[in-house]
Amino acid sequence: MLIHYLDLAWRNIKLTPLISCLMVIAIGIGIGVTMTSLSVYHMMSADPIPQKSAQLHAVQLQTMDDGQTWNTPDDIPSQLTYQDAKYLMENSPQTQSVAMMKSGAAVHLDNPESIPFIQDVRITGRAFFNMFGLSFLHGEAWSETQSEQAAPVVVIGEALAQRLFQRTDVLGESIYLDERQYEVIGVTKAWQPAIKFYDVNNGPFQRAEQVFIPFSHIEAYELHSWGNTNSWKNEDISGYAQFLHSEMVWLQFWTQINSENELKNYQQFLMDYMIQQQKLGRFNRKQLAYNVKPVNDWLKYNQVIDPDNKILVGLSFMFLAVCLANILGMLLAKFLKRAPDAGVRRALGASKRQIFFQHLVEVALLGLLGSVVGILLAQIGLIGIRETMSIYVGIAKMDWTMLLLSPVIAILACLLAGLFPAWVVCKTSPATHLKVQ
Amino acid sequence: MLEIKPIINTLMRSKAGALLLILQIAITLAIVSNALSIVSNRLDKLTEDTGYDEQGIIAFTVLTYNRNIDRAKQFKEDMLKLKEIDGVIEAMTVSSIPLSSSGGSWTISNHPDELQGKRADSGYIQANHRMVSAFGLTVSEGRDFEAQDETDGSDGQFPSVAIVSRAVANKLFGEGKGLNEFVYSGDNMMKIVGIVETMKSQWPDSKMGDNVVLIPIERSSMYQRVIVKTQPSKRAQIIKMIEPTLLENERQRVIIGVKGLDTAKQQTYQRDTLMIRMLVALIVFLAIITALGIFGLTHFNISKRTKQIGTRRALGARKSAIFRYFLVENTVVTLFGVAVGSVAAMFMGGQLMALYSIPALDGSIVLYTALVIVVMSLLSVYQPAKRAANISPSIATRSI
Repeated sequence: MLIHYLDLAWRNIKLTPLISCLMVIAIGIGIGVTMTSLSVYHMMSADPIPQKSAQLHAVQLQTMDDGQTWNTPDDIPSQLTYQDAKYLMENSPQTQSVAMMKSGAAVHLDNPESIPFIQDVRITGRAFFNMFGLSFLHGEAWSETQSEQAAPVVVIGEALAQRLFQRTDVLGESIYLDERQYEVIGVTKAWQPAIKFYDVNNGPFQRAEQVFIPFSHIEAYELHSWGNTNSWKNEDISGYAQFLHSEMVWLQFWTQINSENELKNYQQFLMDYMIQQQKLGRFNRKQLAYNVKPVNDWLKYNQVIDPDNKILVGLSFMFLAVCLANILGMLLAKFLKRAPDAGVRRALGASKRQIFFQHLVEVALLGLLGSVVGILLAQIGLIGIRETMSIYVGIAKMDWTMLLLSPVIAILACLLAGLFPAWVVCKTSPATHLKVQ
Repeated sequence: MLEIKPIINTLMRSKAGALLLILQIAITLAIVSNALSIVSNRLDKLTEDTGYDEQGIIAFTVLTYNRNIDRAKQFKEDMLKLKEIDGVIEAMTVSSIPLSSSGGSWTISNHPDELQGKRADSGYIQANHRMVSAFGLTVSEGRDFEAQDETDGSDGQFPSVAIVSRAVANKLFGEGKGLNEFVYSGDNMMKIVGIVETMKSQWPDSKMGDNVVLIPIERSSMYQRVIVKTQPSKRAQIIKMIEPTLLENERQRVIIGVKGLDTAKQQTYQRDTLMIRMLVALIVFLAIITALGIFGLTHFNISKRTKQIGTRRALGARKSAIFRYFLVENTVVTLFGVAVGSVAAMFMGGQLMALYSIPALDGSIVLYTALVIVVMSLLSVYQPAKRAANISPSIATRSI
């Protein structure tokens, strides 16, 4: 029966090409606009690391004195001081914990033809690769010993290896970061989470780093953050050693917690540490506070979704509603014009129900065609977004979910618009139409 | 004369078409007026005067990765070399580039103990004493920096004078005051020797967007910002020459992001540009769809009533009466839609303001949008109404 209805629908669409075309275009524009903003929203709100988002937790400590405020909802700084980050990394009860920061360097090879270029560098612990799901193409992460000795070793991404050496198997090669020589001990597979959830400091949609060096290099080479370094206290800082022991916050900290029990342990560990530090004169406040947030809570806390985008999603659904009102009008016109046909079918024995469904099938077919136009328009829209805002390269795109959702939304919307016209047609009595003919 | 009563009666008898139109017009008005309001706010932001010579200035960063280089000396040579280029008026190292959303900020106060005084979070820019003219700024009160104001930060020396933006002076000392007063930050005390009326900070779109403190101290760092003031007509040429000129001087460094200050500003406002483009696209599509909808529905309403029209004509109605009837009918429906839409628009504006801190919707925008919609709907009803007026009376007598 469905096949027959589809056939009828297709014939009817061909019979009224102009109005059908207009309807398809109206749905297409509606879906195009809606899917453009919805795709960006979807990518912004998607879980960046679904397999581990429940285990990975960002850690914050309330280091500030009473009365100080921060730009987070609960006034807790979003980053840690060096001394806290170092302590937590070395003493966390879980094996998988890393402190980290973004830095950068001029990358080059030791030959006159090599022109130095800037690369962001992630300075972190060896657990980083395992925790955040990076896999190695060649080699592996630095060892515990290499880390302790601040050995000049580096892990790079495959694209960077290609750029420098035109191949990926580059273990043992040396590259320069600024004036320091490093040995490549690992090459990772391309890794690019849609949201840079592990460090949202300079915007959550920055590209992931491709150069990784051990955390111990911060102290050994007096490295500075290329992210944010913030202070809340007037401190007299001269020299790097004092900077490291200051109350400035500039490091991110992540830990992997696998169970409720581990979480409790970890919270206790943080409290113990702060109480111990309080005796040394730090954490000068009545109520000690900390946060241990899993990935998705962390992203909400940092308000990763641009409010502009939420507005656009709202407006585009309203826009879709206007398109629907439009289509509803056109469907009414189209169906009523063809009411005599329905009259004949009714006289030949079709039930009201059958007439109703036949018309809905036709509407659904229009929706399907419209969604094709809509997907094409949305692609153009997304290209426009990527052109306007270069950092949206990773999120202004349509994934499979959105691609499949487009026809679903289009068809549902059209069915909604088609209900009333189809009902009007099926309830007309056959006699009136037969008379006129 | 205008037959409002029969029109309303007719509309009440076949509500569907009219309701659809009202709905469409109302939503369109709500969306378009709010979108226009957001667009005009963002445009204001983009075109606001920043105080700087955006067209003439080139900004970039030099990463000197070789730590053995005497950077202070190197940059002195570099600046001299840059100034030899035809069209370059001034070149200097600066601590951060205005409008670029990156740089240093601090809290200054009108009291040595900042907790007891008024405070102003502001961006600071440190450079040599010629910076005011290099940025294309003008001191509106007090004086510009002089050579003896400048320090190089050796032995912990910090300048004892500063030039601030009008906003900073107002915040700390009250409207129109502040010249020759003292400001404090940490252990440093500075006298305000000059005030610049309009000067945006590194973060023009933030709470400290208008708060800037200029400090005459010239230091050099590994990651050094540089500005070059040029004759605007020659800037495009000079931009290409910066990197080769500097690398010729010393190779062990990287020149990053050489661009005009206007480009730096555009990048800071990328989000707003994107929003403007998206909303304009939305408005254009919406206008097309709604015009089509009004046109289509009127067409439909008329074709449904062909016989009635024929009858009226047969009973003596003039063409103009038929024409007027549809025009008035459409206007009645449109006005209904516009009324509902205005309420919806204001409600939506309130919601946007509450949820996303979008600036309040101005009633006049709703009014203008409503006017345009009314005109648009009159235009789209014109042709169908004309056609209706031309229906021959004989239609009525034919197939009844």
